[in-house]
Amino acid sequence: MKGVIFNVLEDLVIKQCGMQGWNEVLSENPEATGIYTASESYPDEELFGLVGSVAQKLEMPIAEVVEIFGTYLFHQLAERYPMFVEQPENLREFLLSIESVIHIEVRKLYDSPNLPNFTYDESSQDQLVMHYQSPRKLCILAEGLVRGAAESYKTPITIDHPVCMHQGADHCDLIIRFGNV
Amino acid sequence: MSDTENPYEIAYTRERQARLKAEQLLEDKSRELYLKNQKLAESYKKLQQQQAVAMQNEKLATLGTLSAGVAHEINNPLAFVLSNLESLPIYKQALLRLLELNQKYLNDPGIPEIYRKEIADLIEKEDLDFIGEDMHGLIDDTIEGIQRVKEIVLNLRSFARTQGSDRIEADLCAGINSTLKLLTSELKTGVTLKLDLQPLPGVVCNPNQLNQVFLNLIMNAKQAVEGRANPTITIKTSCEDGAVRIRIADNGCGMPPEVQKEIFVPFYTTKPIGQGTGMGLAIAYGIIQDHGGKISVKSAVDQGTVFVIRLPLSGQTEGAETGIAEEVSD
Repeated sequence: MKGVIFNVLEDLVIKQCGMQGWNEVLSENPEATGIYTASESYPDEELFGLVGSVAQKLEMPIAEVVEIFGTYLFHQLAERYPMFVEQPENLREFLLSIESVIHIEVRKLYDSPNLPNFTYDESSQDQLVMHYQSPRKLCILAEGLVRGAAESYKTPITIDHPVCMHQGADHCDLIIRFGNV
Repeated sequence: MSDTENPYEIAYTRERQARLKAEQLLEDKSRELYLKNQKLAESYKKLQQQQAVAMQNEKLATLGTLSAGVAHEINNPLAFVLSNLESLPIYKQALLRLLELNQKYLNDPGIPEIYRKEIADLIEKEDLDFIGEDMHGLIDDTIEGIQRVKEIVLNLRSFARTQGSDRIEADLCAGINSTLKLLTSELKTGVTLKLDLQPLPGVVCNPNQLNQVFLNLIMNAKQAVEGRANPTITIKTSCEDGAVRIRIADNGCGMPPEVQKEIFVPFYTTKPIGQGTGMGLAIAYGIIQDHGGKISVKSAVDQGTVFVIRLPLSGQTEGAETGIAEEVSD
């Protein structure tokens, strides 16, 4: 996982629980150094451990923390890389550009960024089905990111997640319905 | 002291901002580096292609010089060998007449037995009856063989362009049409011929030589489409930028890059031994170069091959090169 994800988590925790809170989270995870550089890669387990501690501290289920983090992560990434949200005119276009633009640009900069794979079912105008595939199974984070994007584009959405890798499927289906459905 | 007044936190926020800027800078530089690297890779690829073309041209030029020398050296002894050989049938007749006379006297009781026996023994010992029969074939085969050597030498000289050529203003479309007429019987077996011959201005050239180029290319195309589904040969002419352009395309078996690199080299052939001299395209190359033109090829295995010839209108050189590519794209 890239250091930028850890940086954003650190921001979020400091915002919610103060610096002391982040230091406590780090001390509960001795393998985590707390020194993260945006473009470096760090072990996935380190992030999962930190998120687990955060969930404990906030007394929230991990899935909920991951989704909140995903939403926050989107806004932070959009701030750092504004060009990716400036180009697409609406949320649908943005979601479609994840695979065709953003991931291509990321691959230009990093050799093996371990990106998730998205394919799309665009057959309906009112909804977009995103097929998510990643060995990390971070579909909840993806859901949070999509919610963050919806906030950014001021587009109300609902997300259904009927097929999930956590239920034994080989991919996840995220059905994004646009507007107040 | 409230949190916002904590000097360490203020310093932390400042440092964090600085780090974000540094990371942004790093990313921008990485992107710049990526783009520059991409440009560099493109330039390198282009350079490699040009280098390959330059090497190929140099190789062909060297072969041209070498061929001219070899052709000249072989040509002189060849001339007297052939001339001598052509006298042999006459000598052969004389000797055969002598043998016939011998036969006649062998049966003549007026000739003393001792002489007749001596001659009969010699005829038997040397198997002169067989020699008399075999000589016909030997001499004919030898003359035929030498004729073939003569043709090869002639081909080499064509490639090396050592012969002077008379140039006249000619209509290349007419040349293509007359070449196609020559090939009517070859092409009637199921090959679709698509012609798009735009009228061309007259080109100062040796029309016989250019017809030979068209013949070689069309024959190659015909052989490439043999056994293919919907075999088609397309010939197109056009005039642009002070040059005429003749495009001969087929949807045949195509050639892999390693074959494409060698096709203009004399004696290079993919045909089985005994079929094809490997001189067809080498001669075509030599002729087009002699006309200040350019011949290029583009081919893909199982898709087909396109040859494009460009000939300058006013005698200026096209920088004759074997070619890569951009010329054959449409």
